Amino acid sequence: MASDGSVKVKIPTVFRRFTGNEAEIDLAPGTIGQLIDQLDERYPGFKGQIMNDEGELHRFVNVYVNDEDARYLEKLETQANEGDRVALLPSVAGG
Amino acid sequence: MTGANVLEMRFPQELADRMIAHCLDGRPDEACGLIATEDGAVVHIYPMFNASASPVRYALDPQEQLAVYQDLDERGWDLGGVFHSHTRTEAYPSPTDVREAREEVPYVIVSLATEPAVIRAFRIVKESWSAETGEVEEMPVEVLG
Repeated sequence: MASDGSVKVKIPTVFRRFTGNEAEIDLAPGTIGQLIDQLDERYPGFKGQIMNDEGELHRFVNVYVNDEDARYLEKLETQANEGDRVALLPSVAGG
Repeated sequence: MTGANVLEMRFPQELADRMIAHCLDGRPDEACGLIATEDGAVVHIYPMFNASASPVRYALDPQEQLAVYQDLDERGWDLGGVFHSHTRTEAYPSPTDVREAREEVPYVIVSLATEPAVIRAFRIVKESWSAETGEVEEMPVEVLG
């Protein structure tokens, strides 16, 4: 697939109310932390929805870079390059 | 249209049967999965692995969840709901279900406590998606025979 120089970020249903219902957003390559900053610039308040006061991802948000769990990579420092796909996933659990 | 706009869950009989069969197969543990909708109608059931492997807890495996979300995109379907079983209790959200609810789609519960199984659906409405508390609102379920 030809790349347009961007990283494609998939937004799950639960977060689309913060992105004007956009399900996929093209961002400039960077670390996961930088991508979240870009999202927050475009959609003010987005960062506060997925990160806690300590600046870490909420424990019930999973971030995948090309099908790999960022938690097992370098977390917020994980680099997403041109053509990479990033997905945010809320945890689905209960009892 | 997202699942959030659906006012009623309508299952074709075959898909309700598939969901119940997955729940029965999972015993004694809870079973779980995702529901695909198209224009508000249930079109597919994804039986999934319970990463908690527990009779009183369930959790989707995020890797499998990601694959299902990708499949939904490719097919043009919406995430229409989350389902899981209660093996010994009624089909009503437990305190854990309310606390852990994060997706804004209906949560469908299949109770295996009685024969035949009972299917009910709920919205768990929270002030913010990460809140620990929420209101439970039941929504009608219809199985189309």
